[in-house]
Amino acid sequence: MSPYDLLPRFKAQYDANNQEFSISGVVRPQGIDELGPSIALLRDAIGRVRGVLYVNVRRLTQMNNAAFHAFSRIIIDACRARPELKFVVITSSVVGWTSRKFGRLSGIEPNITIEEYDSQFYPGQGFLEEGRFVPILRTQTKMTWRHERAILPRHGMRAGMVMADICCGIGDFAVLVQKEFQPSRIVALDHSISSLDYARRVMREFDIRGIEYTYGDASEMLLDEAQFDLVTCRHSLQIFNRPELILKELYRICKPGGRVYITNEKNSHCLGEPRAESIRWTYNEVAKLFGHFEMDVELGPKSRRYLIEAGFEDIRVETFMVTNLDGDPQDFADVIAAWADVYAGEMATRRGDGPEFVARFRQGFQDHIFAALHPKGYAGWPIWVASGRRPQ
Amino acid sequence: MGPVHHDLAGGPTFEPMIQIDMEIKTFVSAWRHCDYVSTYMARMVSQNRSDSVRHSNLFSSAFNELLEIAFRTRHADGELACRVSRHGATDRIELKFPCVPEERQFYEEAVSQVAGFEASERYLNSVSGDLAPSREVALLELAVDYNATLRVEEADGGAIKLVVDLPLEGLQH
Ligand SMILES: C[S@@+](CC[C@H](N)C(=O)[O-])C[C@H]1O[C@@H](n2cnc3c(N)ncnc32)[C@H](O)[C@@H]1O
Repeated sequence: MSPYDLLPRFKAQYDANNQEFSISGVVRPQGIDELGPSIALLRDAIGRVRGVLYVNVRRLTQMNNAAFHAFSRIIIDACRARPELKFVVITSSVVGWTSRKFGRLSGIEPNITIEEYDSQFYPGQGFLEEGRFVPILRTQTKMTWRHERAILPRHGMRAGMVMADICCGIGDFAVLVQKEFQPSRIVALDHSISSLDYARRVMREFDIRGIEYTYGDASEMLLDEAQFDLVTCRHSLQIFNRPELILKELYRICKPGGRVYITNEKNSHCLGEPRAESIRWTYNEVAKLFGHFEMDVELGPKSRRYLIEAGFEDIRVETFMVTNLDGDPQDFADVIAAWADVYAGEMATRRGDGPEFVARFRQGFQDHIFAALHPKGYAGWPIWVASGRRPQ
Repeated sequence: MGPVHHDLAGGPTFEPMIQIDMEIKTFVSAWRHCDYVSTYMARMVSQNRSDSVRHSNLFSSAFNELLEIAFRTRHADGELACRVSRHGATDRIELKFPCVPEERQFYEEAVSQVAGFEASERYLNSVSGDLAPSREVALLELAVDYNATLRVEEADGGAIKLVVDLPLEGLQH
């Protein structure tokens, strides 16, 4: 027996407050006696609940038929014995078979319904998953890459390694890494189907190999543990209301001795000359606006703390400033214009901001663009890079 | 997609991808082998699918059921041979294992039922019924939830070959 055999591969829990029974991991028993404690827990939960019992299988990656039948038997019997009781099975859109397999149960007992848990992972999702962000992301990556290509080797990037880019967006970063550093394999995950379609199209059109795009949820990935030498997650921890949950997953898939690399912003530190005051005011407001939607675009300097608290060691932090002088100032201006569009547009409207506020808010972006394009001007967007090693 | 080749029987040609053979004795010595083999093969064959991670999860899920069936063979001698080949969006699993004549008959019947009209009804009945799940249910489920098509082929030396076509690439989104 290898030590792997001794690890419990699944976990069942009951949360009485939420009337939720959850089972996660790989459930492939030889006989149902191996499920004894979990079955007892489910029975016990059914005995206690009133109204609805939630059965959460979002993190169930595998379940063989023997186990599926054992659990469904109990649920079906409970429906028959207690017609007032309802069951809601919560599946994930990421794990393809669960919705189909558990979905059958609602055809047997009308009191069983299936909900595919999706979309509302974090409050700002709607703004970021739609196609409108594609042009911003492209230009942003082009500008940050000039810096990151020199920075990445200091954080563990090596040729031939196996890496993952989590929340990869449209995949530009993965493509650039592939060309520059030639890792042996890149798994790139995102939860936006349109971004992944775009990324796959680019891969086909440019005949790029070695990148595997996958649809997934960063807070509960189908990827196995300890697989990657380097796990990158760029500009994304800052959009989740609970970044520590994502970091836990990044840690899990990273090999012991491998590194997790994150980049984040501190928006209130965007700057420019001339018109520094107006620019400063607007970016302070950007931070508050994101805060309203439970996203922390001030996360950059907190990276060190997050990495330490997640259990990483040998933590390295550095910052770089993307400026109007790195290449074409118009690129910088385009990114700001795109930010203005979304932040002073949909997001401000959604928060219920009045026209006076929006006008002033927009002005700061215009001033930032003005600074970027001014012959003697200077405009900057600071980024925090941090990485930590998973202990051996 | 490239040109479609046809074999002599007129069906499309499946390109071989991977094969694993082992003594049935070794295989049945630990239940975990089903999980290992299905996970390993799933990973290998999914690498060039459009979503390798999710393809691998689905493939492993389906393949594991077949291996669990083979695990329960009552024959102690001979070989287990698993082969995966591909034609376009379809992966073909061929699983050859030793089997006594009554078992062979059982598989033939089970597979013909899977092909029948009422496969999904039969499947629902078996999930809602009181009987413990049988091997037949696992095969039905492959057809119902994974759109698999199944057939049984005779193999030499008292063995049976289950041939399962899985169109998983088309199943996601
Ligand atoms: C700000 S973008 C950053 C994209 C990319 N890393 C870059 O730097 O261009 C955030 C990305 O996170 C993705 N995302 C949001 N929620 C996710 C989730 N639960 N799981 C995986 N990706 C998610 C979004 O679709 C989006 O592509």
